[in-house]
Amino acid sequence: MKILSMSGFVPEQIIDTVRFTGYEGSERLSHYCGYAADFISQVKEDASIDGAVFPKSCDSSRSIGSYLDETGKFIYSMPVPAIRDEGSVAYFADILRDYKAKLEKHFNISISDDEIKARDMVISERNAKIAASYGKLSDLSYSSYIREVHASLNAPYSFDESRIEAGKDGKPVYLVGSFLAGIELSDCIEKAGMKVTGDDLPESGRIAVQSESADSSEDIYLKIASDILSRRPSPTQDLFEELIKNDVAEIEEKGCRGVIFATQKYCEPYDYLFSVYKKVLDEKGIPVLQVQLSDSTDAGAHAFALEAFADII
Amino acid sequence: MPDSYLVHVAGAMRSYYKDFSKYAKGRAPSQKVAWVTSFAPVEILDALDIEYVYPESYAAVIAASGLEQPLLEESSRQFLSCDCCSYSCCFEGCISTGKGPRGVPPVPDVLIATNNQCNTLPAWWSILAKRYNVPLIVLDYPGEFTDADIARPYVEKQHKEFVKKMEELSGNKLDENELAKRIGNSINSVAAWKRVCACLKEREVPPTLLFDDINFLITARCKEETAIIYNLMADEMETYPECNKSLTPLFWIGYPLWYHKDRYLTEVMEGFRVCGSNYITWWNLDYEGDSVWDKLFGAYNNTFLNLSQKTKTERLSALIAASGAKCAVTCRNKSCKCDYVSAKNVGIPQAELEVDMIDREYLDVERAASLMKILKETVS
Repeated sequence: MKILSMSGFVPEQIIDTVRFTGYEGSERLSHYCGYAADFISQVKEDASIDGAVFPKSCDSSRSIGSYLDETGKFIYSMPVPAIRDEGSVAYFADILRDYKAKLEKHFNISISDDEIKARDMVISERNAKIAASYGKLSDLSYSSYIREVHASLNAPYSFDESRIEAGKDGKPVYLVGSFLAGIELSDCIEKAGMKVTGDDLPESGRIAVQSESADSSEDIYLKIASDILSRRPSPTQDLFEELIKNDVAEIEEKGCRGVIFATQKYCEPYDYLFSVYKKVLDEKGIPVLQVQLSDSTDAGAHAFALEAFADII
Repeated sequence: MPDSYLVHVAGAMRSYYKDFSKYAKGRAPSQKVAWVTSFAPVEILDALDIEYVYPESYAAVIAASGLEQPLLEESSRQFLSCDCCSYSCCFEGCISTGKGPRGVPPVPDVLIATNNQCNTLPAWWSILAKRYNVPLIVLDYPGEFTDADIARPYVEKQHKEFVKKMEELSGNKLDENELAKRIGNSINSVAAWKRVCACLKEREVPPTLLFDDINFLITARCKEETAIIYNLMADEMETYPECNKSLTPLFWIGYPLWYHKDRYLTEVMEGFRVCGSNYITWWNLDYEGDSVWDKLFGAYNNTFLNLSQKTKTERLSALIAASGAKCAVTCRNKSCKCDYVSAKNVGIPQAELEVDMIDREYLDVERAASLMKILKETVS
């Protein structure tokens, strides 16, 4: 079966999912995130997709189910805790159990805890490799690195640093944003003479700079819940202060000369974050360029802005 | 002389706005102040004697006063995208400039956001937290997306922890009897408001009155006064003449247009009468359950926008059927993605209008008129 997933909050350990990266879909919903609209399109239009799982973490994602409820496919809206404490880990573990039960019921299958544990080991190994490569970004081509990351988001989750090309010199910059669907943006950044040495992307920096999981229990659901919730915060978790503090520390430590803030149009968590993020960077004299992508396949029209930004920094 | 609800309205308004800068004139509030989203469990705050203010409602008041445009522009200068919810943009402009029809609200001691309506509000509250450097408490309501046996203990635990934090802030200890009394007041307010809403179908009641006066159910639902106001309103409205049944009954789906003098598009609705609205039912919270904690869970976890599409469609369809509407105006609100899809499969002809509830410059009135003409032809 093929289940399309969206967001780093969706556990990869319960069942193999296909991470949504991009799709040229026909759903065009005004004032609605193009990335989410393309996700809806693929689930509706792609006959090979058997189901969809997505978080209830922003207004676009919480509305996805409303557009998909008549597809007859497996549809699971995952309520990600909006708070972070022990109680929310236990709650999220319950959600993961519920997700597993609903999968089993819909597809008439059985998923054993041993399968989940085995998949968890694979995912943990992959994450460790992503973290190791992330630590060497100053030597690597970011464009090549992020492609390898994206390739590793689907089974068999293999990440091979030897496939990543060496990087050229460039002005060090930091990349902030939601999932980098328009991966060509990373090529444009490098072509403009910049080098991404750190990021706060859900598929990269947030995995790489994960704090140690608070849970050491044998309960696999608690472990997975704890792993996911102990990552650096997403703007959908409303911890702007912590998020900005983490990012600024990394930006300063790595000597980044600017920040590229790449988001989807109509992505309100990032729009709200930007309003305070920019003020903090302005106070520190760090230039920031906001790049708004119109949908999951948009990436090419920002070359001029990136070149100008490279000149400024 | 019969008691007029207007006397009580004036008292409630004075009480709510007393600490806004226009009236406080530099006087500090006597209570701790919380800024809350409109589906926050204010019964807890009220029982602990904490004052609460609703920025969303104030944005509506600003637009109704015709002052929103310069404030929207100001928020844009503050790097807040105009794609964000216009309640937030308008309010950000207000607190950045200090300008508003009643001044600015008292500075918060705590910010309380819930996600039972949308996920935008906690994000908006996050930028407020950065501005005022005060604690932000997000209450997470999973809604119908999660089985109640998982959601209930999760929400109850949050409510109890919330009480502890608010006890520390206020220096008061929660008396559960006082909390039960506030919940009882809310239940009475909802019941009385339903009487008011019922008048819209049969009587010559201007919808504007309901769009405006739901304000008390939002900002003062757990005050004893609110049920008094609504019962007096209903008593009065039940004596109004019968509505003109020759007009086509129309259901208004979505937010009122706060900037509009009538709150809905009277200029393009000749031949129609508004016989129902879902917005005016959003705060008809269902405090089901035995304990105070069960009641709070029932009310705040299962708000309309926190329901599955299936339940939303069923509820909306039932409301429309009860109203006797033959057609609907569906407001596709630029500022509210969550409400955007509420009106799916409601089974009557609809004119879908692209609107914003705050920004008057967003609507294409000519296009709206043309769509209403088509709707009229469809139902005639």
